[in-house]
Amino acid sequence: MAVKKIKLPTGLLAAALFGLILLSLQLMSTAAQESSELNAMSKWLLVINGLGLVVLMILVGANIYSLARQLKKRAAGSRLTTRMVALFVLLSLAPAAIVFYFSMQFLHQGIDSWFNVEIDRAMEDSLELSQSALDQRMRWHLRQTQQLAENIDTSSEVMAGLEMDNLLIMSGASEVTLFSKTGRIIASSSSTPGDILPSLPDENVWLQLRRSGDYVALAPISEKELMIRAITEIKGQDPLYLQTLYPVPVRVADLADSVEFAFIRYQEMNYLRNSLKMSFSLALSLVLLMSLLAAIWVAFISIRHIVAPVKALVKGTKAVASGLYDQQLPVLAHDDLGFLVESFNDMTRRIGQAQNEIRQAGVEVENQRAYLETILGNLTAGVISFDANNTIRTTNQAAYRIFHIHVSRFVGQTLLELAGNNKELAEPLKTIHRLLMNADDIWQQRIAFLGPNGRRELLCRGTPLFSQEGDRVGAIVVFDDVTDLMQAQKSAAWGEVARRLAHEIKNPLTPIQLSAERLQVKLGDKLSASDAEILQKSTRTIVKQVEAMKEMVDDFAQYAKPAKKQANDLDLAALVQEVLALYPVKPGVKFKTEFETGSLMIKGDPVSIRQVVHNLLINALEAIEDNGVIEIKMNRVQKNYTDFIECAFYDNGPGINEEHIEKIFEPYVTTKTKGTGLGLAIVKKIIEEHGGSIWVDTRRKIGAGFIIQLPAV
Amino acid sequence: MRVLLNINRLLILSAVLLMAAPVLLYAEDSGVAITHVESATQDNDYVMSADIDYQLSEKTVEALNNGVSLFWTYQFKVQEQRDYLWNKTVLDKSVRYGVQYHALLKLYRVSNISNGTDENFSTLEGALDKLSTLRDYPLIEKDKIADGNQYIASMQITFERDALPLPLRPVAYMNPQWYLSSDWYTWPLKK
Repeated sequence: MAVKKIKLPTGLLAAALFGLILLSLQLMSTAAQESSELNAMSKWLLVINGLGLVVLMILVGANIYSLARQLKKRAAGSRLTTRMVALFVLLSLAPAAIVFYFSMQFLHQGIDSWFNVEIDRAMEDSLELSQSALDQRMRWHLRQTQQLAENIDTSSEVMAGLEMDNLLIMSGASEVTLFSKTGRIIASSSSTPGDILPSLPDENVWLQLRRSGDYVALAPISEKELMIRAITEIKGQDPLYLQTLYPVPVRVADLADSVEFAFIRYQEMNYLRNSLKMSFSLALSLVLLMSLLAAIWVAFISIRHIVAPVKALVKGTKAVASGLYDQQLPVLAHDDLGFLVESFNDMTRRIGQAQNEIRQAGVEVENQRAYLETILGNLTAGVISFDANNTIRTTNQAAYRIFHIHVSRFVGQTLLELAGNNKELAEPLKTIHRLLMNADDIWQQRIAFLGPNGRRELLCRGTPLFSQEGDRVGAIVVFDDVTDLMQAQKSAAWGEVARRLAHEIKNPLTPIQLSAERLQVKLGDKLSASDAEILQKSTRTIVKQVEAMKEMVDDFAQYAKPAKKQANDLDLAALVQEVLALYPVKPGVKFKTEFETGSLMIKGDPVSIRQVVHNLLINALEAIEDNGVIEIKMNRVQKNYTDFIECAFYDNGPGINEEHIEKIFEPYVTTKTKGTGLGLAIVKKIIEEHGGSIWVDTRRKIGAGFIIQLPAV
Repeated sequence: MRVLLNINRLLILSAVLLMAAPVLLYAEDSGVAITHVESATQDNDYVMSADIDYQLSEKTVEALNNGVSLFWTYQFKVQEQRDYLWNKTVLDKSVRYGVQYHALLKLYRVSNISNGTDENFSTLEGALDKLSTLRDYPLIEKDKIADGNQYIASMQITFERDALPLPLRPVAYMNPQWYLSSDWYTWPLKK
């Protein structure tokens, strides 16, 4: 992260900045001492310190600004940072403020204590003392000068000039000068031979001379030397002025200078008292402010480092909470927080692994489920599973094939609701439902129903499902369409019966018939007419019945033997027309044919198919009893992507009873008084041998209707 | 807490003053300005005379009377004007003056620090008068000025705030009453 990148420079920068600040503060405090060489630099030190302050303020300000922005954004760790910074500032501010307050107090009191009234007065008094001492000396020298002036002979300038040296010796002055009103030097004498030009009074002195005639003043000659300058007027017609310069004794001058220096220093200090207080306060405030700002800045930096792992943890936890488990946080330090971060990383790693395993297991389970579903879907048996409330949970494709209902659309509903939507299937579905409700163990039941393809027979097996705790959690019902199987079984059984009959019954019939005929031939002439007649009657009856039995056995044999001898392409429509043509026209009987145009070709044995048509027509004719309408409809249909030729035979006879419909295609089931009851059984057998199907059209309410479907070519 | 408040007030005041300094500078009567300069040739030198207007502020006078020495630097420059290059500085010299009050003698002493001469005045006006009249001051030797070239002379009087006692310096930098420097005064130097 960026934090790591700027870590080193920030640390160095901070150290450097603090070093500079400390150095500059130290220099400033050194510079505050007057004697220091740094005194001249104090301005720049102040500027540097001010700049440092500004830099620190900017740093702290930037940190506060960024923290405020993070707070506003509710960024991770911002509240913790704020609290810690506030605590830090409070902790550093409180002692700093107390120290500052007392320092200021001491400073002000300390500075004030330097000055007091007594010292003030002592200073002024000592100055005044010095002044009065000098004043006295000045007055005395003035009087001396005045006395000298009285004794001077001013009759001629030459004389006066000569007298100067005398005066110098007499007075003990260092210089004596005589000058006129215009400032012209008349005569001069000096104890120091180097001085050639005596100093002349300036305008101020002249002003005073004209006013009072005398002048006396102290004149500093150099730093250490003081002179008393006294000028007095020598009255006369043309007034002259005598100027004497008396040196002030070195000791006195020194003392006066010392007093003056002390006084000036004291006065200056006194005057600067407030400025001094202010500059000290300023420096102190600067130091306090800088250290405080530096502390806050350092607090920001160190808190940022402390909070960084917490921040990362918060972010990581949020990410984990939102489902991102691949969170690995950088371990910045090997302390407690670092340990926490490591633990977090460990945790997320493990969660990630667990998540992966779960995902893989999920994929595996899904694969298994898909595999099972594939198996279930491709099972020929229909499977429906139910939950504890007996509502449908899953189903497979075969269920649709058997029921012709999209059972999968009724997931979440019970079989009763399914039955409500499908009236034709209401009975079997209700039966299954009832079985489901009541069964506590595996059950098996055959259920027959009339589907769109005729009567169907189902073999249902139900298995209730139990949880490990023993609670019933649902059930599974597996059902097979066993119609064909049953039919095949029945046909096989009947075929066997037929063969036996043919074998066991037909064989004795011929001897019976021959024996009866022989009895007739042998005994016919030997008996009386009446007996012969009885014999003849009986013999005829025997022969007739034996014939009938033979016929019956032949029928059976026909039923039993395989019908499909050869397979030719047949035009079913033409074949039906051919068969119809064989029937004599009867006044009450009406044939109606309705054939679809186009190919109505099938593949089959023409003899067998003709028999089918024949049998069905005979049935219909017998049903209408020479008075009614027989309809034959033929068209091409598509079923399960296969083309079929559908041929329907309808009559308007009495119809078939409900209870007979189920067994109408079985041998020896007939509603007629005569007939073997094999007609429809043979029809069904032939049709099925041709790969077709036949069923009673239950939708038709008038008379009987049979529908044949044969695979089209 | 009063101290803190006072410090705050001072800080705020100083900040305000610092910002308002240029405005206050013109608002105040105090300051130093060069009003008139004349230059002429005399023997081998260019000499100049200048009139300077010294208006010391109340605070400055108070400081002076309390023993604080005030120093000014008179800075002189002569530059040769060149069309194609930057101006060439022919002369750059300065003279330092100090004013000091002597409590014992009740005198104002004007010292020329550069040549070490002193003059005493019994009044401040006299001392300032000395500072404000510059007469026949030798500026530059004639032979340093070439014929045909253009020369510009300039003069500035700078008040030395750094020579003030340390505690007074921050105030001197912030308070316009201590702005006692003049602007540069320039004039052409004629042959």
